[in-house]
Amino acid sequence: MRKMFELNDFILRNAKELGFGDVVVLAYESNRRQVRFANNEITVAKNWHERKVELFVELEKRIAGTTITELSEENIERTLKTLLSNMKGMAPKEDYYGIAEGPFEYRDIPETFDKAIVELDEPNEYVERAINSALEEGAKRVAGVLYTDHNRVYLTTSNGVEAFDEGAGIEISVRAFIGDLESGHGTNSVRVLKKFDPESAGRKAGEIASLAKNPEQGPEGKFDVVFDPLAFANLLSYMSFMTSAYAAEAGFSPFVNKLGQKVANEIVTIKDVGNLPNGYGSRKFDDEGVPTRETTIIENGTFKSFLLNTSLARKYKTETTANAGLIMPHAWNVVLEPGNYSKEELFGEVERGIYVTNVWYTRFQNYVTGDFSTIPRDGIFLIEDCELKPIRNIRVSDNLLGILSRITALTKESCHVHWWEVETPVTTPYVLVKDVGITRATK
Amino acid sequence: MHELVEFAVEKALELGADYAEARFEEKNGTSLAMKNGSPEGLEILADRGIGVRVLLGGGMGFASTNVLTRESVGEAVKKAVKLAKSASRVRNEPIRFSEEDFHEVYYEVKMRKDFRDVSPEEKLELLRKIEEEVKGTGVNVPMRYLGYSDQVWHKIMVNSDGAFIESIIPRVSTMYNLVVFENGQMEQAPFVERAFSGGLELIEKDEPWEWAVKDVKALKRLITEGKKPPEGKVDLVISPEVAGIAVHESVGHPYESDRIFGREAAQAGESFVKPEMLGERIGSEVVTVIDDPTLPNSWGFYLYDDEGVKARPRYLIRNGIITEFLTNREYAYKLGQRSNAAARAINYNREPIVRMANTYLAPGDYSFEELIEDVKLGVYMVSFNEWNIDDRRYQQRYIGTEAYLIENGEIKHPVRRPILEITTRALWSSVDAVGKEVEFYPGTCGKGEPGQGVPVWMGGAHARLRDIPLRRP
Repeated sequence: MRKMFELNDFILRNAKELGFGDVVVLAYESNRRQVRFANNEITVAKNWHERKVELFVELEKRIAGTTITELSEENIERTLKTLLSNMKGMAPKEDYYGIAEGPFEYRDIPETFDKAIVELDEPNEYVERAINSALEEGAKRVAGVLYTDHNRVYLTTSNGVEAFDEGAGIEISVRAFIGDLESGHGTNSVRVLKKFDPESAGRKAGEIASLAKNPEQGPEGKFDVVFDPLAFANLLSYMSFMTSAYAAEAGFSPFVNKLGQKVANEIVTIKDVGNLPNGYGSRKFDDEGVPTRETTIIENGTFKSFLLNTSLARKYKTETTANAGLIMPHAWNVVLEPGNYSKEELFGEVERGIYVTNVWYTRFQNYVTGDFSTIPRDGIFLIEDCELKPIRNIRVSDNLLGILSRITALTKESCHVHWWEVETPVTTPYVLVKDVGITRATK
Repeated sequence: MHELVEFAVEKALELGADYAEARFEEKNGTSLAMKNGSPEGLEILADRGIGVRVLLGGGMGFASTNVLTRESVGEAVKKAVKLAKSASRVRNEPIRFSEEDFHEVYYEVKMRKDFRDVSPEEKLELLRKIEEEVKGTGVNVPMRYLGYSDQVWHKIMVNSDGAFIESIIPRVSTMYNLVVFENGQMEQAPFVERAFSGGLELIEKDEPWEWAVKDVKALKRLITEGKKPPEGKVDLVISPEVAGIAVHESVGHPYESDRIFGREAAQAGESFVKPEMLGERIGSEVVTVIDDPTLPNSWGFYLYDDEGVKARPRYLIRNGIITEFLTNREYAYKLGQRSNAAARAINYNREPIVRMANTYLAPGDYSFEELIEDVKLGVYMVSFNEWNIDDRRYQQRYIGTEAYLIENGEIKHPVRRPILEITTRALWSSVDAVGKEVEFYPGTCGKGEPGQGVPVWMGGAHARLRDIPLRRP
């Protein structure tokens, strides 16, 4: 560990000698494995080994960043000199207000590192277990991906921060098919091996695929929609980007000018939790060394806070939320607080509606108004007379703030979701939304 | 570096690999952003590493490292070989590659104005020019986010079948997000990109500030003069930009052979297209769709793919008939064909997978005036914001941003958000005429896990679609 901090110190020292003001050196060592599978067989297995240093420097309010992968002293010195010469002629960023003042104290986050994941020799067995669980539920073809992660992060800043974190994780995403049109999806992402349950992901994928047999063309109009955690996580993951103060300034957020205002039904409380135990996005500190924490974004329907780093927080005369990103603050783990419905009770609220198990391809017509559409995939069901009838080929066409304000019920049960379509990990219950716009092809 | 790449291939063969390929990639460049008139800072890109892909016993393994020593590359090779061996035990049938002709080649895209010789401040001037020209229109644009990026991609790819391909391709682009606020209403031109392979002269010639000015004026007009689009079945003329997204989403993607065979099933999905559909009609006689990586200065440019196969134009649809899929060596073998060089990897740490390059609707023989003149009632869709398509690539939707009413052969007032929500077969079967002129628009095509956003151009000629039930918002 010392070796990487010595390297960080070397970079910091050289940067200061050249006259830079704020300097942040964030070094990573990572080992990542992937096993991809499709048609019940492994299509490719991969391994990545990476060592890199992300460097942020400030010179009289001019800011620059780079990533150094060739870590010789000679290359580091050359990189710093290149940055300096490039920055000297540049115009300053007038609204730059510095980085956090350290040092800070850090607490271990429970369930974010497990040596057993690091020492796992071959994860193929988990893949086979997931495939078999889906096949047992009636699936014919199973596809997906498994990852194991091991990361070390070393942070040194010119404001007295020296911080280290080590994390591990294992996750699987499973999609099961029966025919071309009948599929289901399940995921499982954890940070400790004993909690890893690849069978549950395979089983859920297989179950939904089996329920989705012989789907008929779905209807259009306004419907009460139950979003599975997998589906709602997609919307919340997109939403999390829009809660970054940077995105708001850049014209990518419907939350502009909404601080203190009602943006959701009062049963809705959404947080970002950087120190979530067993959270796939959890880390002890943000990119400037501030200990991560819980930030309430929406509390009982009222928009409470954008996600901030120190510079943006000072600009808006408030405190950082520990979400640096030195340029763009970002969420760590988004959490929609659960409600008090059982799953059965929540479905029981729907007289005639639609159950959406997964979505993809969420796109916005206008980020500032929040108008968007997204495409349900995998099992989609018409809920009618307490029965699930498989349907296909519909689209959710609505408004993000509209959806938040029409949430009427949440289950007690929540799932932590992280997969290809949900980049920022999200913990969410099943969500019932009233009067959701549903469209389909006209020709 | 050549030596290290060759060492990786030799080492893999020594360790028992049936096939080995190593790819060194180095990316150097700068990016700059400006938010609401204020420079956001400079990002210097300096990334490089080696990726190794092997076949052993019918299993595929891939490993990469950015620590460029013999020791570290040797470790990566060992891992790739071990992963391939263990993967081979969970296969129903072995992975095999098609036979191809391989070459030893060096190629480079020359820059007339080398962006490496231009200071960041000068590059920032390009963004300032957009800022000033937009302000000069007098339109209220309270949120403005502008970006500039340049990169030189240097690749050395070697495989055990005799390929040795080295290339240097510079890429330069600008991007803007502009939010227009007038009369209490907001309209947006988000993520509008101009992008080329080549030097800074291409951006200067393209004048992105002119595009920005056109956009904000059109958005203001949409707010002040925009009316509801017509209801019921109408004719729809789509611009090269809209034709581009439509060919990309509903022709390029479903013709990717790895999707057709289910390899991307858990991520980007499968395809409504099946191998036996080659030769089947999917559109009208006037529809021809080409994907061509070799277009000079294009955003999706390359001459050899990342498996070392020589690139050529691919006719995905010719006169309405499905004629060709996009293939790499693995799926060309399954189809009993030769690869048409669609294997692309976005960086050293990614495997090559089947991708598009520059996909376009081939020109027909109508002038723009001829396309419009016999439309009694219709809509001309110039640009779009929201779009999406299901994961079998059959049900898509494009919502017009800049769009106009066509009445009795004349273009009239702007219309608000006409929605084309249609199946792929209906879309391409409805085209009865295609324009003469071709234009291209850049994009970043997403696919693969981990994600591989690759630069592509999308475009083509104007097209006229008959009897389209347009949806209103």
